Amino acid sequence: MVKYIMSRVLLMLLTLFIITGMCFILVRMLPPAELPPGDIHTQVIEARREAQGYNKPYLVQFGIFLKNVFTRWDWGVSDKLYVGQEVAGIFADKLPATMIVNFYSIIVSIPIGILLGVIAASYKNTYIDHLLSTATMVCISVPSFVYAFIIQYFLSYRLGWLPFLVKSGTDYFSFDMFISMLPVILSLSLGVIASFTRTTRAELCEVLTSDYMLLARTKGLTKAQATVRHGLKNCMVVVLPSIFGNFIGIMSGSFIIEKIFAVPGVGSLYINSINARDYPMFIMLTVFYTAIGLAASIVVDISYGFVDPRIRIGSKK
Amino acid sequence: MKRYISLTVAACMLISLFGGCARNEDAGESYTYNDYVTTMAANWNPHTYETASDSYPADFLRVGLYAAVFNDEKNFAVGKPPFESYKMIPEMAAAEPVDVTARVRTEHPEFGIPESASSGYAYTIDLNPEAMWEDGTPINADTYVYSMRRLLDPELLNYRASDFYAGNFSIAGAERYANQGQSVMLKVYEVMERDGIFAAEEFVFTYGDSKAHINWLDSFGEAYNSQSGKWGAAENAVVDSGMSVRELYEFFMSEATARGESADGARRRFADEVSIMWTYPDNVDFSYVGLYKSGDYQITLVLSRALSGFGLLYALNTNWIVNEELYERCLKKEGGAWFSTYNTSADTTLSYGPYKLVSYQKDKSMRFERNDNWYGYTDGRHVFADPVSGDEREMYQTTAVNTQVVAESATAKLMFLRGELMSYTLGADDFAAYKNSEFAHETPGETVFFLILNGNMDAIEKRESSGSFDRRTIDLETMTLEPFRRALALTYDREQFAAAISPARSAAYGLIGNAYLYDPENQLSYRDTNAAKYVLCDFYGVDPSKYQSLDAAVGSITGYDPDSAREYYKEAFSEALALGYITDNDKNGISDQTVTIEYCVSADNDFMTRTIDYLNGKMSAVTAGTPFEGKISFIKSAPYGTEWSQKIKAGLSDTVLGGWSGSVLDPFSLTDLYVNPAYQYDALWFDSDETELTMSINVGGMGETEVIRDVSMTLREWSDALNGEYVTKNNVSYNFGEGMADVEVRLSILAALEGEILRTYNYIPMLQDAALTLLSKQAYYAAESYNPVLGWGGIAYLGYNYSDAEWAEYVSSVGGDIKY
Repeated sequence: MVKYIMSRVLLMLLTLFIITGMCFILVRMLPPAELPPGDIHTQVIEARREAQGYNKPYLVQFGIFLKNVFTRWDWGVSDKLYVGQEVAGIFADKLPATMIVNFYSIIVSIPIGILLGVIAASYKNTYIDHLLSTATMVCISVPSFVYAFIIQYFLSYRLGWLPFLVKSGTDYFSFDMFISMLPVILSLSLGVIASFTRTTRAELCEVLTSDYMLLARTKGLTKAQATVRHGLKNCMVVVLPSIFGNFIGIMSGSFIIEKIFAVPGVGSLYINSINARDYPMFIMLTVFYTAIGLAASIVVDISYGFVDPRIRIGSKK
Repeated sequence: MKRYISLTVAACMLISLFGGCARNEDAGESYTYNDYVTTMAANWNPHTYETASDSYPADFLRVGLYAAVFNDEKNFAVGKPPFESYKMIPEMAAAEPVDVTARVRTEHPEFGIPESASSGYAYTIDLNPEAMWEDGTPINADTYVYSMRRLLDPELLNYRASDFYAGNFSIAGAERYANQGQSVMLKVYEVMERDGIFAAEEFVFTYGDSKAHINWLDSFGEAYNSQSGKWGAAENAVVDSGMSVRELYEFFMSEATARGESADGARRRFADEVSIMWTYPDNVDFSYVGLYKSGDYQITLVLSRALSGFGLLYALNTNWIVNEELYERCLKKEGGAWFSTYNTSADTTLSYGPYKLVSYQKDKSMRFERNDNWYGYTDGRHVFADPVSGDEREMYQTTAVNTQVVAESATAKLMFLRGELMSYTLGADDFAAYKNSEFAHETPGETVFFLILNGNMDAIEKRESSGSFDRRTIDLETMTLEPFRRALALTYDREQFAAAISPARSAAYGLIGNAYLYDPENQLSYRDTNAAKYVLCDFYGVDPSKYQSLDAAVGSITGYDPDSAREYYKEAFSEALALGYITDNDKNGISDQTVTIEYCVSADNDFMTRTIDYLNGKMSAVTAGTPFEGKISFIKSAPYGTEWSQKIKAGLSDTVLGGWSGSVLDPFSLTDLYVNPAYQYDALWFDSDETELTMSINVGGMGETEVIRDVSMTLREWSDALNGEYVTKNNVSYNFGEGMADVEVRLSILAALEGEILRTYNYIPMLQDAALTLLSKQAYYAAESYNPVLGWGGIAYLGYNYSDAEWAEYVSSVGGDIKY
């Protein structure tokens, strides 16, 4: 198992390196953002690009980039959005907001989603199941930014219960901040809750008809005890990996949600860096999201082995 | 025990009560301006900021040497009711600038003040000794000189350095100091100006062996391979031509002959379109820059171009100073280039204006509070008579400014309606509900949007000859005919067009918008002059003699004249038929082909759909009963993104609503946009160097005896002369720039140029830009009408109907749903 994990990590690093290299070189091949013809600032921009090494061979540029990252954790300076400011510093400033919003969302989504899935499976083919299944389909089909506007309209504007935007400041664990994050958490969670509900229901429905569930009942366990102790544990083989998948999904979904609720996070930064052609910022964020995705896929694979001991990839008899 | 608990609870209640009272008292005195932006400022360093959003904090943190205030009893403007004009007053300066041109010319020959100049080039400015940074550090002449030295520092390559030499406000020696040792790509005519070369041949003699660069697409519409001598697909960029200056000059001359162009025109194009690398002289000392300390609280400013009066004071309403200690601390070298973190956070910002930055979160929010070290709160000069209440009021009633990012206008609207924002700019969907609100304020924009019409026959013929083009059913050539374009210009009621597609905007009839002032001091608009009015009457075929007055004639113009339009469509049909552009094989008097006009779409959206639907709908109505009935169609192009302007310029797409904007205080400079190939949309099918305009005009010079003479020049030459260049014709030099010719002469040239450009029918004016903003009931503007220089008065003149606490109570009393 350890060998397997090591090989997966090494492969992940290799993949990350290749993706980073490709992105870096392709991005450096792009022309700078155009200035109007005859713009007096053209020479300033040109001189700045020259000084930053944009006119060197691409592989040389990539070598310098890697050297700076590994020796000094220097990802360069922003050349459009925050001219002259260090990319790594800006990223570090903004990461907590994104992580906390996503963390809250997933924390809220997991128990609610699984609970609703269990209820739907337990009351399979009753009106409760139909109601939950319909709600699940609606929540999965509608994009999260639609919820965002609905939540803003009803909860913030009509009822005045919640603020429109996330609070300013970095007191991420204060009560006021949590309250101001509720609209974001709700917007991000609805689709994820629905996804967990659907997955849990589907798996549980299958598990509940298994022979061992009948045996558990025969032993004298109540339906609830049998469902939680035996049924739910078995469907975790599928549900747990989907938690990681959804976490990544939430990270990408928050690109737009962050913008709507003015979350000062890296999601909106990624969009802004693309729109503004801020190449150093874009590269760092691309590496970040690629790393997150690759790490999540390893964790998902490994988690199968922990959840279900029968799955032991790479083990020898 | 019970007693202790009771006492403790009572004590807590008392403390809470007092605490609450104290908070209420504070809140009662506070007036917070809650603003929103879609993009938060990231770098407001006066030396390096690049975008409009980055300049946002400047109004709060900085003050110019001079600033505009509304006219009132304290700042009297002759013949103007209070708050209908403005005055320029000293702010960071202590008094008006003193002209010392004659003395400085003698004492400092290094600044190159012309021998003949006796005024307008050098000034001493006494500085306000009360000015200081928010931490109490004094601001004196050293601060100004240090800041300018850093701003122009050739190593720092500051983005805003060119603000101080590239425009009308040009400090002597600044350009050479800032760019020393650098090689830059310059157009031939720019090199000729710098080196004092007058003839193209002389330029070729001097620089003949240098590499020549050119944008083939802009110059010839195609690329040229100098090795093979073949034309090919054009790269839209300035590239190494592969030829020396001498070779490319000869190429221009020979191509001119082949294309039937005059030799003068080819020389002119060569100067305008060809570039070379030019190197600034090295080792220039800052002592050659026209800004030096002439006293502890006095600076001397030397200009390379004469500037005086309002123009000078207006140029000095911005400021370049930085705090030396903080600035040096924020500088760092990264990869060979200098960067600065000065003014990128609250920690790296020091104010010398009415507010200071107390908190800043990237892409989220910023908060400003009163800067108690600002002289303006105590100098007794920042007061005015409130035109609403009549009371004397201090400026800057706002105690704090909270600015946050609200990316979605839908969110901003809801927040505004709940009283959480001070203003909201209406979108198209809001107009029906709010356009007549008493809280709605219109802010005119300077941009006029016109339909650019393709006239590039070369490109059109190529498109028609492509394999997939069906000549039997589609035609593109007819749109280049003048009668067709005249008809199109009379097909649309501009007000209806604006109401249908962009209600915030209004109708535009000329190329120069209503906002442009030719006399900023007296707020006189070009559009209100008789010369400008006659241009419109001429273009829209209105005979002023049939109306009671010229104003009545202009007032009758809507842009919509279906009868004349139909006549022109009929004329266009006959002409197109004769030229073989279209056919009428079934002899039914209706074109067999549909004249298809591709609308160049940058990104497909509702606005584009509304625009094209409107254009087609009205076109159908007007062409009914003409040979083009149902035979003219606007269609959407593919989304071209940022390539749209190149598609239009190359004639690869046919029309688009485009526009230019410039300085609202200088309408004369706009002419260059329509005659200079670097900017023209129609450069490939309209040569302003070949179009002559003859005017009978006073060439006597400003304030001199009138000398009327017939002068013929090309449009480009008229434009150059109007903007201060000497143009020589028949051995006589003409310059109609500011200060060189009477304003009436300049206005007549401007009007003549506008008329000539309109008559090309390459630009059909459609929309005048504007925005409509709702102001919260919490506050009010002191001014009742929009002022081109001061707007609605800004934060300085904003008055409050409710303090923050009162406003919170009011919002609560209406259930958080405020009606506007």
